[in-house]
Amino acid sequence: MRLARDSTAIAFKELRQLSRDPVSLILTFMFPILLIGIFIVIAGAFSAPSYNIPVVVADLDTSPASTVLVDKMTTSPIIHVTQLVSTEEQALHHVEAGDAMGAVIIPQGFGESLLTTGRAFIVLQTDNSKITAPTLIQAAVNRDAEDLASTEGSQFGIKEVAIEVVVRPISGRPPTGDVILPGFLSMIAILGAFDDIVNAITRERERGTFPRLLLSPVNILSVYSGKMFATVLLTAVRTTLMLIIFVLMGLAIRGNILLIYITTALIAVFTLSLGLVMSARIRGSSTLTVLEIALTFPLFQLTGVFQSPELLAAGGRAISRALPWTYGNEALRRVIYLGLGIDAIAGDLLILLIGSLVMLPIALTLSKRTM
Amino acid sequence: MLKLLRDLVAVAGNEFRQFRRNKTAILISLVVLPLFFTVSLGAAGGGPTTTFSPTANIPITFIDNDLSAESSQLLQALRSSGDFDRIILGYREDSALAVLGTGKIYAAIVIPEGFHTRLANNQTSEIILYTDDGEPGIGDQLSVTLRSVVQDFNPNVEVQAERRGLTQVEIVQKGALFSSFNIGLVIVLGVVQIFATFYEIAGGMSREREDGTLARLLVSPTGIAPIMLGKTLFVSVLAIIRTFIVLGLAVYVFGARPSTDLVTLLAVSLIIALVTMGFGFVVSSFRVGARAVVIVEFFLVLFLFAFSGLVIDKELLRGVSKTISNILPWAYGFELLRRTVLIGRPLLSLTTELSIIFGSTLLFYVFSYAIFAYSRERLAF
Repeated sequence: MRLARDSTAIAFKELRQLSRDPVSLILTFMFPILLIGIFIVIAGAFSAPSYNIPVVVADLDTSPASTVLVDKMTTSPIIHVTQLVSTEEQALHHVEAGDAMGAVIIPQGFGESLLTTGRAFIVLQTDNSKITAPTLIQAAVNRDAEDLASTEGSQFGIKEVAIEVVVRPISGRPPTGDVILPGFLSMIAILGAFDDIVNAITRERERGTFPRLLLSPVNILSVYSGKMFATVLLTAVRTTLMLIIFVLMGLAIRGNILLIYITTALIAVFTLSLGLVMSARIRGSSTLTVLEIALTFPLFQLTGVFQSPELLAAGGRAISRALPWTYGNEALRRVIYLGLGIDAIAGDLLILLIGSLVMLPIALTLSKRTM
Repeated sequence: MLKLLRDLVAVAGNEFRQFRRNKTAILISLVVLPLFFTVSLGAAGGGPTTTFSPTANIPITFIDNDLSAESSQLLQALRSSGDFDRIILGYREDSALAVLGTGKIYAAIVIPEGFHTRLANNQTSEIILYTDDGEPGIGDQLSVTLRSVVQDFNPNVEVQAERRGLTQVEIVQKGALFSSFNIGLVIVLGVVQIFATFYEIAGGMSREREDGTLARLLVSPTGIAPIMLGKTLFVSVLAIIRTFIVLGLAVYVFGARPSTDLVTLLAVSLIIALVTMGFGFVVSSFRVGARAVVIVEFFLVLFLFAFSGLVIDKELLRGVSKTISNILPWAYGFELLRRTVLIGRPLLSLTTELSIIFGSTLLFYVFSYAIFAYSRERLAF
């Protein structure tokens, strides 16, 4: 009873302190908005209707089939044929010099081969030092080649594809860039909790109020649970803000909203527990923040924010499975996209809870030692 | 000139002494940052020499509603492809759909009834791939891999031929192919330097101000230039050590083979570190606190991820994003890294990138020097 009363008192003290510090107050809610802003820019760039990626073409065949293919490429919204060159060397030189990001070479005998065997090849050279352009160029040229097969196929003796793969996502959603939004919600809960730990412990230490708090007739467990309670409340506000942004962006949330709040709260509590362990050793608030931010960036990759941990290499998958945040991300995706209930995510929530319960005694012991 | 050099070395020596006494700073700057970024890169995608199929270990169920020789052959083709090593049999279509999304299986390949009849009649047969789209990227990756396997599937052949690519018009890829580790290494080399050097300069200056040592330094007979250059010298040495650590891990642990020599690599890393140090001085010339420095750092790295070609090529950005990308000197730094580390271009042939980045560095240093000189007293306290 006393523990609960003291914890509540500490939680309200935290919130009062935050409300009196306008800079921290703005920052604690600016992180999510700015992160999402950056995501919108990136997602917008990925889903742009046209890119005009500079590509040069060398049509060494000049047959009717190659001419049709070149025509298709010149009208592609993805690539922009900047020059038609006469030799393969010229085409490759443009890519090596950085004037074009890709070169398409249609070899001599392309049309003839299509007519006689139904098969032919084209050569594609891309600037593979780039991140996204090579894939986009390849996809565009691929599409044009498939288009050549499907629309003018009979004219050039091309058969239809024998087996077609029909993809059906189980949620029924169109495959859009918003697949990473639940991961972002999780990252915001993590970043927010890291920021809370800096405000709650290290800045209190720097101001000299932490020893006073510990000397007061309040149990250290109450101090920590009070700070956790404050973080849970702040995480709920951040989650609400994010869900509003998600809905404004057109994301349909299928599952129970309460489960989303429970998951983000558990992610924040685990992060805070880890932060408490770290803050027992690292005393400076800015040092701790730098370290936490540095740790956050690889988490985007390892906890499955951008792509499922199942697609990682064996080592990465093992690390990913050892991180409780991965389970938090999974739970959020299952609730938000698939509309699954507590029975489907109970295991994930349990792992987050166990992670926190393991970290908290370590933090308490370390804090007592380094007090 | 001699005095400038002497003062510069004295300031740098003082920085090294302070650094040596701060175990946390050593740990973060030289161990945590380079180690964590490089190891997570290697762990996530494997080394540059390791090849793995991202779909090979994903549990997938194969539901054969056709029960024909052709559908069995297709299952055999999938199993022997090396891309589908965890095919689970025994599910019905409805039970598979009920399990999808729970993490037991991530996709279901369904061969519909009439599959073999359509193939026999020279018609296009369908395969249905149900995917758990709650897992980002899995559906796209599985459909691409499945399409590439079935495109070369020939139901009339007992042993499936080696995969060749597209059936009608094959695209032969020419030119150097870089592993995702090598592409990631370029990012890690740049990001680690930016992350660490910015904090070492801007954070160091703000800490000196908060501790009151900056005021003492400014009233000493040491000029502003030796203070800035001394700190630059100190952080440059740390930057070189960090480059060695990242490269050492990449080359000796993960087997990376950069296409350029060590001198070029060190030079490019140092160029990126210098422009970041210049920016660090600019930020600290605005008298910002340690907490604000960290926040600026966070947004700097976020901006770099969005606009420097780390997630999407800067050439593909449009409008305001493109303008931001064009004015960020780090974007040219990453271009230098890509062109040298991946393609092996000589550093001195990249004149445009070098001019922009050197110009920006000079601008940052001159601007911050002017502010420091103009408002020396205000900045000290």
